[in-house]
Amino acid sequence: MIAGPIVDVAFWLFAIGSVVAGYRVFRTDSMVRAAFYLLASFTGVGGILVLLGAEFLGMVLILMMAGEMLVMAIVMVMFMMNPAGLNPMVMVHQNRIAAGAGIVAFVALAGVGLVGQFPDRPAPEPAAATAQLGTELLGDSMLVFQTAGVALLSTMIGAIAIAGRRGRYGVAEDGSVEPPLQPDEERAR
Amino acid sequence: MRPYVGAELAILAIGGTLIVGVYLVAVLDRLLGAVVAGAPIRPFALVVDPARSAAQLLVQQRRTTERPDAPGWAFAPALFFGLGALALAMVPLGPNLVVADPATGFVVFSAAIAFVMIAVFLHGWSPNSPFALHGAYRYGAAALSFQIPFLLAMLATALPAQSLSIVDIVRAQETLWNVVREPLGLPIYLIVGVGVSFWGPLNLSDASDLAEGTSVEDSGIGRLLWKVARAGMLVAVAAMGAAGFLGGWWGPLLPGPVWVLVKTLVLLVMLIASGHLLARVRIESFVLVAWAILIPLALLNVFVSGATLL
Repeated sequence: MIAGPIVDVAFWLFAIGSVVAGYRVFRTDSMVRAAFYLLASFTGVGGILVLLGAEFLGMVLILMMAGEMLVMAIVMVMFMMNPAGLNPMVMVHQNRIAAGAGIVAFVALAGVGLVGQFPDRPAPEPAAATAQLGTELLGDSMLVFQTAGVALLSTMIGAIAIAGRRGRYGVAEDGSVEPPLQPDEERAR
Repeated sequence: MRPYVGAELAILAIGGTLIVGVYLVAVLDRLLGAVVAGAPIRPFALVVDPARSAAQLLVQQRRTTERPDAPGWAFAPALFFGLGALALAMVPLGPNLVVADPATGFVVFSAAIAFVMIAVFLHGWSPNSPFALHGAYRYGAAALSFQIPFLLAMLATALPAQSLSIVDIVRAQETLWNVVREPLGLPIYLIVGVGVSFWGPLNLSDASDLAEGTSVEDSGIGRLLWKVARAGMLVAVAAMGAAGFLGGWWGPLLPGPVWVLVKTLVLLVMLIASGHLLARVRIESFVLVAWAILIPLALLNVFVSGATLL
């Protein structure tokens, strides 16, 4: 466990930075900017995890988020009518439902933070914490993680098979067209 | 608790190494270019030329584009340079001679390499220019492809050390360097190292066929900082390669830090020479090779080094 004034300063920097960046995700007008703000927010959370002694989890969060946010930005730009994500667009919708869900989630999490009982014991050394995590992943929780892993892998293979050139509805060069919604509807060729 | 040096000493050590290293990369690049081309080598010109180019960029008028993302454009070189400095901070010169030795050093280094994707994409996206954006997409495709082989190649070095700390990884190579123990690791690492700094054969994002890709719109100090950041990352990759695969400070006769410098220099020359000796690959071919050949080879590497430890 690390402590001291520098840790406090770092915590508040990460915490405020995460919240501000998270807020900016919804106030910016570009999908790529939103993805980068979200990445900044997650990086702050990763920093807080490191301060809490979960060095491995914090760094892995940062490591994974870098690639994920890039993929997310590219995919969002691909699917939206917004070349390169530089054109201004509104990033929020269904405002009432979203505000309600946000308030409920905040109250619930804040309630847990205020009322919940937290263990009061020193965190293990980072190396020991990493070792414990590995033992957990390949010990008691192995079945859960392996099941999730295989499910994710098969999803990825399926997605690639559908999106590939020899896709679901024929070869791309032959003009693959999805079947009509109504069975008797004739397709105009 | 692992030792960390003070902030002043850390800035001095990393900053000094990066200044010297970046200048060395610029000189070596010109020297190796002249050697490969068979041109006459004029030592004075070689040493002065990088400074002259830098001064020229410093006084150059800056130009901008229509509706760029100015903060992102300014931030990208700083982020890239910072990632190089972060990676360099974890390279040990000796058993107790390291700026930072986090228990998860391998993961921190990998996170820095992964974040280069963000820096390059931001750099190519923010000028609001087509060729720059093409470069950014190319880097995204290349980086997502070499990320997994890179992680697997580095992971194999952590197996004999039974630790994710870089110092422990070097310490475990006392009797046998990783380059011998797992011969596939270093070549994969070097391929990725060239890709991370998009140098030579893997310079896809800033390539001349895209009119310099992500840096096509750069001018003045922005262009200079981007070049400096790239060279800094190349130095960091070479230094980490020396620590992870060439046994770091281990070696006969000479003191440990000298060995680290010598090994780093050897890798640096190899990385820079690749730019003058090898043709640039096509992105499609590289992505195919990365997924279909490099990942299986890297997995084999992990299995073999794991099996030898049993």
